[in-house]
Amino acid sequence: MPLPIEVLAAATAARAAPLALAALGGYTSERAGVINIGLEGKMLTAACLTAVIGARTGNAMLGLAAGIAAAICLSLFHWLATQTFRVDHVISGMAINAIAFGGVNTIAAKFLDPGATPPRLPDPPFLILAFGLPILVAYGVSRTRAGLRLQAVGSDPEKARLVGLNPVWVRFGGLVLTGVFTGLSGALIFNGVGNLTDTMTAGRGYIALAALILGGWRPIPALLACLLFGFLEALQLVLQGTSIGGVQIPTEAWNALPYLATVVALAGFVGKTRAPAGLGKP
Amino acid sequence: MTFKIAALVLGSLGVLGILLAATGVPVGQALAEVIRASLGSERAISGTLRETTPLLFAGLAVFLALRAGLFNIGVEGQFLVGALACAVVALAVGGPLGIVLGLLAGALGGILWALPTAWIRAYRNGHEVITSIMLNNAAMLFATALVAGPLKAPDQQSPSTAMISAATRLPNLIDQPKLQVNLGLLLGLVVALLLARWLARTVAGYELCAAGANPKAALAAGVEVKPTLLKAMLFSGALAGSGGAVMVLAFEGRFYQGFSSGYGFDGLGVALLAGSNPLGLIPSALLFGILNKGGTAVQFLGVPKGITYVLLGLLIVVVAAIRYRKGGANATAD
Repeated sequence: MPLPIEVLAAATAARAAPLALAALGGYTSERAGVINIGLEGKMLTAACLTAVIGARTGNAMLGLAAGIAAAICLSLFHWLATQTFRVDHVISGMAINAIAFGGVNTIAAKFLDPGATPPRLPDPPFLILAFGLPILVAYGVSRTRAGLRLQAVGSDPEKARLVGLNPVWVRFGGLVLTGVFTGLSGALIFNGVGNLTDTMTAGRGYIALAALILGGWRPIPALLACLLFGFLEALQLVLQGTSIGGVQIPTEAWNALPYLATVVALAGFVGKTRAPAGLGKP
Repeated sequence: MTFKIAALVLGSLGVLGILLAATGVPVGQALAEVIRASLGSERAISGTLRETTPLLFAGLAVFLALRAGLFNIGVEGQFLVGALACAVVALAVGGPLGIVLGLLAGALGGILWALPTAWIRAYRNGHEVITSIMLNNAAMLFATALVAGPLKAPDQQSPSTAMISAATRLPNLIDQPKLQVNLGLLLGLVVALLLARWLARTVAGYELCAAGANPKAALAAGVEVKPTLLKAMLFSGALAGSGGAVMVLAFEGRFYQGFSSGYGFDGLGVALLAGSNPLGLIPSALLFGILNKGGTAVQFLGVPKGITYVLLGLLIVVVAAIRYRKGGANATAD
């Protein structure tokens, strides 16, 4: 069967875009030294509020704004927990995912009419942002004062303190950006699906984190890794229902492909050399 | 710092209160219902103890990995694969031998599912949280594919294996019409006691804790850190898988689609709340058992199930913050 190349390319871009935005959110957090396992929860919350506020007001832009605002709130909760209360970064991230999952489950059950069809924004602006922002952020982090501060704090918070920076507040900025990017990502995921469920992000936050690691904590290589994962997700759409050697492959096998690819990718990635040296430090 | 913690606790209670208020159910009524449905009668207590059993095993699994400095978020997947393996073996081999082999198959299933995570963490430096979450999703799909396909019993409506014969079940220790306590719970308690002893009294247990507390110092003191981490993760997988097996042999009698209601994730809360002693897991698992049982009951009042996850998340942050304050700098193990 000849693969429809245009279909595959379009599906790859559509699948890679939310990953790319989420990975960028992970970047601005981890580059400042804050481990962020909670991308998934922020994306899910953003998707939820985009849907609920969009449906309530009938205005998709308001929905998007609410989604981003919610993701920023969760991101700042992570900031508060890890910076003020010195909670382990991984524990706080997992807690945020639990809160987000439960919150979305509650809100979806109580505040969204089952029959409601929230308005959706067109995809192209999101795609432009998803593929343009990593380039912009890569430039910003390596060339601007704020970006260099972000790097300094993430690489060695002690020395950053010695030159008069306050890591806690630099990280505040990084985490606000994390909220913005994961908010966009969640809104985009909702756009793609059109109806709200508490499993709609389906582990994409973790896949995005794996892409960030594979890209060596650099925005543009991470974007390329997201395209790879997006391609695998798209492949499953194209190949679903086909058989190999007369044996019908179950749908679940194709669905599991991106997850297994993530595990294999992490197995192949050796060492921690490119990770920000101050990751997880106070 | 005490002031800050107080603010955090109040803030968390505030968030929870607002969410509960938004659902339109009075907080007092919801709480009373939780207590009534989980502890109010002999039947309710039986249900709570039933919920406590898998939670205890999941908590043990998370706890052990955590002692070695590892976050085993993959307990959910290991639990599922263990349960599935146990159901398959117990269907093939009946009787007491089937129980023993089923439990063994459960542990092996859990180990198998933890293996990629363990190896990648110990030898390739890949973060265990990401790999184990990915493997959770894969386990869910894998189990669904099998139970809806080759393992589906013809007489079952929904995707499910056949029922295991009564002779291949773990017996009830107390078996009254209203009050039942299963041997599975006792197994969990025994494992908790053994684990406490193993961690405190053996070289291997000590090395595991040393590797978790400070890997560099442990390495300098002659602990082979990488094999220790590998073993800790596999051991944790075995506990999770055994939990799945106990769930099959003691309560469910089969494996079906949607087998776990998130016991693996709840295990995270159980372990974090338990503190640094495995015996702390027992009251902690009981608390989560009450929450699970009561949480299902308040759903009928119109409180969505999700609210228990919000509670779990807030509880984790508050406990972690308090522990840091008590433990000082040592509590921030990286």
